Amino acid sequence: MLVNDKIIKRRGSLRLASLVLTSLIFLSSFAAFAQDGEKLFKQNCAACHLPTDKTVLGPGLKGITERAPSEQWIIDWIKNPDALIASGDAYANEIKEFSPTAMAPFGYLSDEEIVAIIEYVKNYAPPVEEVAVVAEGVVETSGSGTLDEGTLRNVLIAIGGLLLVLVFILSSVRRSLTQLVSEKEGVEAPEELGTWGTVTNWMNAHRGWVGVIALVLILAFLKWGTIELMNIGVYTGYSPTQPIAFSHKIHAGQNGINCVYCHTSAEKGKTAGIPSLNVCMNCHTHVAEGPSGTDEIAKIYTALDFDPTTKTYGDNPTPIEWVRVHNLPDLSYFNHSQHVVVGKIECQECHGEIQEMGVAEQHSPLTMGWCVDCHRTTSVQVADNEYYEDLHERTPSWHDGNPVTVERIGGLECGKCHY
Amino acid sequence: MSKTKKYWTGLDQLHNTPEFQERVENEFAPEATAEHLLEGDNLDEGSTKRRDFLKFLGFSVGAATLAACETPVNKAIPYLNKPEEITPGVPNYYASTFFDGTDYASILVKTREGRPIKIVGNKKSKLTSGALNSRVNSSVLSLYDSARATSPMKDGEATNWTTVDAEIGAALAKLGEAGGSIVLLTETIISPSTKKAIAEFAAKYGEGVKHVTYDAISASGALEANELCFGVKALPAYDFAAADVVVSFGADFIAGFPNGAANAVGYGKMRDPKGGKMSRHFQFESNMSLAGSNADVRVALKPSESVAAVISLYNKVASATGGNTLSGGTSEYDATIAKAAKELVAAKGKSIVVSNSNDAGVQVVVNAINNLLGNYGSTLNMANPLYLKGGVDADMDALVADMKAGKVGALLIHGVNPSYSYGKAADFNAGLAKVGLTVSFADRLDETAAAGVTYLTPDNNYLESWNDSEAQAGSYSLTQPTIQPLFDTRQFQESLLKWSGNDSDYYSYIKANWAGIHTSSPDGGLLFNDFFNTALFNGVFESGTVGETPEFVGDVAAAAASIKKVPAGEFELELYVKAGLGDGSQANNPWLQELPDPISRVTWDNYITMSPKQMEEMGFSRLERGDFMANLAEITVNGVTITAPVYLSPGQKYGTIGLAVGYGRTAAGKCGDEVGVNAYALSTGSFAVGSVSVSKVEGEYEIAQTQSHHTLMGRDAILKETTLEEYKQDPKAGNPDLMLYVSSAGGSGHGDDSHGGGHGDDGDGHGNEEAAKEEHASPFLPAGEVNLWDDHAIGNGHRWGMSIDLNKCIGCGACVTGCGSENNVPVVGKEEVRRGRNMHWLRIDRYYSSEMTEEHAEEEGIGAIDKFTAMEAAAEAPQVAYQPVMCQHCNHAPCETVCPVAATTHSNEGLNMMTYNRCIGTRYCANNCPYKVRRFNWFQYHSGSQDFSTNPANDDLGRMVLNPDVVVRDRGVMEKCSFCIQGIQAAKLSAKKAGRKVADEEVQSACAEACPTNAIVFGDLNDKESWVAANAKDERSYHLLEEVGVQPNVLYMTKVRNVEENEA
Repeated sequence: MLVNDKIIKRRGSLRLASLVLTSLIFLSSFAAFAQDGEKLFKQNCAACHLPTDKTVLGPGLKGITERAPSEQWIIDWIKNPDALIASGDAYANEIKEFSPTAMAPFGYLSDEEIVAIIEYVKNYAPPVEEVAVVAEGVVETSGSGTLDEGTLRNVLIAIGGLLLVLVFILSSVRRSLTQLVSEKEGVEAPEELGTWGTVTNWMNAHRGWVGVIALVLILAFLKWGTIELMNIGVYTGYSPTQPIAFSHKIHAGQNGINCVYCHTSAEKGKTAGIPSLNVCMNCHTHVAEGPSGTDEIAKIYTALDFDPTTKTYGDNPTPIEWVRVHNLPDLSYFNHSQHVVVGKIECQECHGEIQEMGVAEQHSPLTMGWCVDCHRTTSVQVADNEYYEDLHERTPSWHDGNPVTVERIGGLECGKCHY
Repeated sequence: MSKTKKYWTGLDQLHNTPEFQERVENEFAPEATAEHLLEGDNLDEGSTKRRDFLKFLGFSVGAATLAACETPVNKAIPYLNKPEEITPGVPNYYASTFFDGTDYASILVKTREGRPIKIVGNKKSKLTSGALNSRVNSSVLSLYDSARATSPMKDGEATNWTTVDAEIGAALAKLGEAGGSIVLLTETIISPSTKKAIAEFAAKYGEGVKHVTYDAISASGALEANELCFGVKALPAYDFAAADVVVSFGADFIAGFPNGAANAVGYGKMRDPKGGKMSRHFQFESNMSLAGSNADVRVALKPSESVAAVISLYNKVASATGGNTLSGGTSEYDATIAKAAKELVAAKGKSIVVSNSNDAGVQVVVNAINNLLGNYGSTLNMANPLYLKGGVDADMDALVADMKAGKVGALLIHGVNPSYSYGKAADFNAGLAKVGLTVSFADRLDETAAAGVTYLTPDNNYLESWNDSEAQAGSYSLTQPTIQPLFDTRQFQESLLKWSGNDSDYYSYIKANWAGIHTSSPDGGLLFNDFFNTALFNGVFESGTVGETPEFVGDVAAAAASIKKVPAGEFELELYVKAGLGDGSQANNPWLQELPDPISRVTWDNYITMSPKQMEEMGFSRLERGDFMANLAEITVNGVTITAPVYLSPGQKYGTIGLAVGYGRTAAGKCGDEVGVNAYALSTGSFAVGSVSVSKVEGEYEIAQTQSHHTLMGRDAILKETTLEEYKQDPKAGNPDLMLYVSSAGGSGHGDDSHGGGHGDDGDGHGNEEAAKEEHASPFLPAGEVNLWDDHAIGNGHRWGMSIDLNKCIGCGACVTGCGSENNVPVVGKEEVRRGRNMHWLRIDRYYSSEMTEEHAEEEGIGAIDKFTAMEAAAEAPQVAYQPVMCQHCNHAPCETVCPVAATTHSNEGLNMMTYNRCIGTRYCANNCPYKVRRFNWFQYHSGSQDFSTNPANDDLGRMVLNPDVVVRDRGVMEKCSFCIQGIQAAKLSAKKAGRKVADEEVQSACAEACPTNAIVFGDLNDKESWVAANAKDERSYHLLEEVGVQPNVLYMTKVRNVEENEA
């Protein structure tokens, strides 16, 4: 696992799953179109099996082709283990002793898909680079070598300050020198004006410049003020402490669990939904210990009044009060399924690299400007959707060859989100 | 025809009083605002000076700003164990059944995150065809009624079920052993399982157990008559869709009948003139009822004259069909009756005669007429009759006598409220004191429960209950819970079972009982579980078994002789049931209280209805002043005196008065208590009370009515109508193209500013225009083509539109409550309605019309006396038309151009959008709206103010009814009909997700969904296949105020009356 963390850093698309249980996960996984063994493995098998020789809930699958009687046997087993056991197959009856929990049947996988999975397991090579990574997992600060915006600004302010001090020193030196020279030459020293006097004198002499500077200052202040005011109620980067130190990094990142496995309603309704605890228990019935120990997972058990030793539920559950990270105001209607299913937008486009977040944080500003900007540039995927095709046909003004953006189908209209 | 007609909304408009003029011009009644704000607050006397005020203002603004800077911490609490069927944000619909003894409807309950928020009709039911009325779709709010009992009670004190069960069980057991009398007093029970539970209860406690059925709105007469004529104690199921001629004697069959909304479906189908055929409807009645207002021919008669009219009709039908005639059948309305009889006979087997009389004799005669006409088996179904009424008045009277005699040991009351609704409530209460054990299953401490009932064992709301029903023989339906019981209540049936020693829950009990229905059904091939689950999913199981029509064996002569005379007198009273509040059991439902009565447009009250002529004679104010203060009158019948305001009702028979039941509750809750007067107290067992004495008494009373709100600035050509004859000759009759004069005709039609002066009033100016058109075809253009603005690309994409068929609209108001429920429309209360600030997005304008106008009189040289006589005569018997008006979603919306902040804008789908959070409340838009459909939030109705405690959003429980997809509007913003944009968006989304087109009728506005007659049709005008597009092409379609040139997306269809020349 720790090893894999590095790989994720190196290859963002490769998300290794390692630990999840139960067959329910398959229901929520995206349909597999290609015979992509790796993808299929992660969607269907990774919940219980590793491609290495390490046992999780199910046995490690390394060397499966050598162990099993034949490839056809593996296919039959995966499609319906119970039937194979019932048929009296010797090897099947031998391996059923592995665990009291039977393997679920995967009848919906085609032979080609299973072969692709077997190929993936056969060719699986553990990552070469093995660098230990701090296993904090949950809370992590990311140090980086480049100057970020804040530091740059501080440096600039410091330099500016230094320059100002220099100007003062130089001007007073100049004044002293002039005075000395005047004294030496016996010329009557001009009246001592003091710093303020000098400044006002200068200002009187250079009214044009003063005006320009004042204007620049006022404009700068206005701009700063506007930006500050516009940012009231914008909580980009908001990452409150949650009652359970749940890490998306471990679940979505390291274990590669599909987002919609937990956030099921993202494809169905307006909210992505915070998973109910029974979804957690799909895996955590068995997984009681995480990288930071047992404390956090024990909070689930407490909430459900679950006894991990006897695996029984009590009758005194208490719901968990999560702190809401994304607070879209009630006056605007946002529907996840519109964006996820129809718009086919990846979760990360709005939520950032959530699979890298130890503590979930708000990535996007959720301002109307942000919505509108995206609606202006995003094209509607007209093809392969009869709804849009019909609409397209009925709307001659869209036939000009320019992309049909969300804006053009009315995505900037008030009533589309506010009612 | 419309040219010579004058339409008016009230007598004040007819006579055009100065007050009316002022009100018309003064849309927002501003002077009342300041008064209201200062009322009781003594702001003007306080020590707060202007400077202090500014300081406070500054401080609060600063504090609010600081507070706003802090990141709000919102909690999100997910389910511990999410129910599989619930997806947050996605509604679930459950099929269920509503029956409360007054209305029956097969419904779908819309739930969000496990709480019911809306009721819509279930189209799977063949019996109701998805029709429902305002009471049914408002019933969801009655679930969240804070006046409901939260636990069982003993002597008004809260207790628990264990105690109650033990004590009642012991008392019943004792009575049972002693053979004492135990009476179960219930509403009509149509549930087979409940009947079985009652039988079980009776078996447990022996011979002494008696079940008495009592209906607040009784159909006892009809039941007895049907038993006499057919041996069946049930009501016929009417098929109005097959009735070419309908003759009704006082029966409000589309509103007052238990299956009224379903009757309206059939009735509406026959009001479509396409193909030149329409039903013809005669109504004989004293009060103007909803059915009467829709009739083609309406005869106003006194209640005492009704019997003679029925017998006269019988004689005329009998002599035409060869039956035996009866004696005494002459009536002063014989001319119309003869005409009705002739048409009935001509439409033999395709007609319906119906009466609301509670006299068995009258009903037997009515049955005999139907029998002579061969209607049984075609339009009247006695083979599969309706069981929706079961109460026999004599049983109830006998029970009260027994109670008073101390013969009743225990009385268990379920679903009825006799201390309120029984005519002799005092007798009932006196008897109650003599009953040993009294138990009420009422959902609150109602009048009966508070009148000395020992135990209150509150029943669940129907949305929390299991139940089944057999509304019509062979037509079953199920009620299923859509929410856990909110309070510590228990279903009536479960209590009954428990006391019978049966610990089974009612769900299992129903399921076991349905095994019988399963085996006897043609679907017997299905496994029982599949059968039951299918029925539960559909909400209904209609076996389709057709019974045998029983033979008519009634003795008409004997029945006619037995008819009790309605006492005749100078004044005759007939009680009636309002289309809104019904029997009053939902009186604490503010949606129903604020729903304007279809006829009078009055909210929050009942009142004595009187003919305008009589009001003038007796010196009653006809409310032509702007303040809507009514005079009070005292009516006395049989020693009972009631004082109520008098309100004018054009069409009311001279010499009669009407008064609605359902009001005057004293223990309903904060919304229903002390609203109006209790008219049940005047009932003599029949609502046709007859002779009463009426006298004017001192005092004035505030009436809150809505008709003269939001008037259309005196523009009269908004309601178009014609007659069937004219329509047959020319489908565009009554709806000619409106031609406007433009100086540079033949041009683009754009940019000509003279069109405003081109049209005069729609009267004579019209003819001139047409004449001019013939001579010089060029200077005139159809109004639709005259345009100040650039056109939107209306042919592109979707264009949502609505058509409203004025011919099918019966004015019932189901759309108004449906809209309020969907769109979180606030209830503002009587005081605010009086100020003209009702918030309904959809109003139904009611117009009276007559042939006589000032202009017409001038033209024809009719003298003043004749003119006024003709006008007054029209007010005695006016024609009525209803016109629902909501935002017309103009393509060239005048509101959009005047909004300084672009809070109201146009969508590319034809909608006029309203963005509440942009609105700064200038109200320019409302001032510029020619249709007066915008509503302003004068106050924060939803929170914090006791003034609006009737608004459901003002308490935690009531707030649960709010639709989470629609914003609750705050103070200071405008709102209006949105065409249910949330529904449009949802339907589009599901189409996109599935990758298919949006189907026609998939998108439904709440009003279209609620409309029982499909008068309102909603859809995509750009979808060639859609229903609304077909309606838009119909010759009857027109735009409201076409000459204004705003090009609305709402179309109206001309009203066609099936009347002959000089009739009505």
